[in-house]
Amino acid sequence: MTEPTTQAPADLARGHTVSRYDQELAKLRGIILEMGEHVVEQIQGAVSALVSHEGSQAFRVLDREPQIDFLALDADEEVFRVIARRQPTAIDLRIVLALSKIAGDVERAGDKAARIARQTIELDALGRGEELLSARLREALGALDACACCMFEHSINGVARFDVRVALDVFEREPALYEASHAVRALLGDEGQEGLSARQTVCVLTCAHALERIGNHAANVAEQVIYVAEGQDVRFRNREILIETLRHRML
Amino acid sequence: MRSGELARSQESRETVGDYSVPDARMRCRDVEVWYGDKRAIHGVSLDLGRNEVLSMIGPSGCGKSTFLRCLNRMNDTIDGCRVSGSIQLDGEEIYDRALDPVPLRARVGMVFQKPNPFPKSIYENVAYGPRIHGLTNNKTELDALVETSLRKAGLWDEVKDRLDAPGTGLSGGQQQRLCIARTIAVSPEVILMDEPCSALDPIATAIIEELIDELRANYSIAIVTHSMQQAARVSQRTAYFHLGDLIEVGETNQIFTNPQHRLTEDYITGRFG
Repeated sequence: MTEPTTQAPADLARGHTVSRYDQELAKLRGIILEMGEHVVEQIQGAVSALVSHEGSQAFRVLDREPQIDFLALDADEEVFRVIARRQPTAIDLRIVLALSKIAGDVERAGDKAARIARQTIELDALGRGEELLSARLREALGALDACACCMFEHSINGVARFDVRVALDVFEREPALYEASHAVRALLGDEGQEGLSARQTVCVLTCAHALERIGNHAANVAEQVIYVAEGQDVRFRNREILIETLRHRML
Repeated sequence: MRSGELARSQESRETVGDYSVPDARMRCRDVEVWYGDKRAIHGVSLDLGRNEVLSMIGPSGCGKSTFLRCLNRMNDTIDGCRVSGSIQLDGEEIYDRALDPVPLRARVGMVFQKPNPFPKSIYENVAYGPRIHGLTNNKTELDALVETSLRKAGLWDEVKDRLDAPGTGLSGGQQQRLCIARTIAVSPEVILMDEPCSALDPIATAIIEELIDELRANYSIAIVTHSMQQAARVSQRTAYFHLGDLIEVGETNQIFTNPQHRLTEDYITGRFG
């Protein structure tokens, strides 16, 4: 993962007259970035456990999950504190509201990594064996993982700098995410079950669905990055038109 | 980073946002104010709508109070002060030489930062204006007007049993509401408020803010305040002044969530200076 930067975005480079306010906002953003780092590690660990038959790694993923939950609670507490003490307005208000929503998405992305780990453990319990997943299924899952993970890392980097370009990169990867997800489903559904039992198939499909959802959470985070930077709520907007409009404005 | 309007407008001193409203109560165009050689207001155009509260915010010395005082010719009393441009009240030019500023100040009343009741009874504080302007024909009518004004100012229940007590004996918040009752008593169309709550505690401030919201049903109100939260709470539109320029004006919700000018954003987020 690219090292998250804690450098203030250009709009925030000029600090508040009350410098402690800057520290409080930086602390809140720092918690989210730390959550993001943990979640990326969790996704990588869970998918690695799934495709590489490293069952013990799946348990480590589950053991680490509470760290992310605790950070989410810390983020909520900071949000309450900043609102109560500073009554943020304008870009500060957008930052606080957006970070609060982002914390929820990042935490839920962590839940998806844990879900993959649990499915991996279940597959192990079903006696999946070394070669349970065919080479092409592993490849398809790897492609989906790469796409979801890349989107998620990008979205967290977008939060670090509230960078619209990075957020748009996330959106532009969505078609590839759905394509990769479809490829996995096609292997397990339309083209047979790759030698898996019905229960094993459900486990693998659940993992694929979790990866797709991680990509969706990344897109949600990217929407909030744009909300902060542009002051526009872009949820539920047509992605193609949005990307074109914002790219055009940045020329 | 931000690639939209805010980035493009950060150096401009042109007013961002629509300063006009349909069927405005007061219409100001290209208003300039000079104190001797010093220009305090630079060609400001701004409307005050009917039944709206317009808040004017900005750092000290930005010209917001100077502009407010132009709206009822209070600046006439300052030596060396010159006002140019057009300020109309219901289509009538208020700086017309033929216009008497005394009745104007009844039509455009003012509430000041520090409550300033007359050193007279509560009753006389309210009755004085209607009496000198000849708004009532007899004592019964005057009594009714005093009661109505005190009720509109939310003070009647607190003072109805001591109308002969001195106005200066009331608490700060009550004195300010007495001043508002005094303003209302002469049937104004516009009420100007220059930091009306800056000397009041939070409870008295909340009562005044509630009152402002109620008064909006009958009057147009322009308020100068240093409290960003107060501007956000009480007004429908907000105007941001900076060094004599009107930098931005717009719906209060928009100004406080997504201002379009860098200077506005810096000020309301506490990054100014």
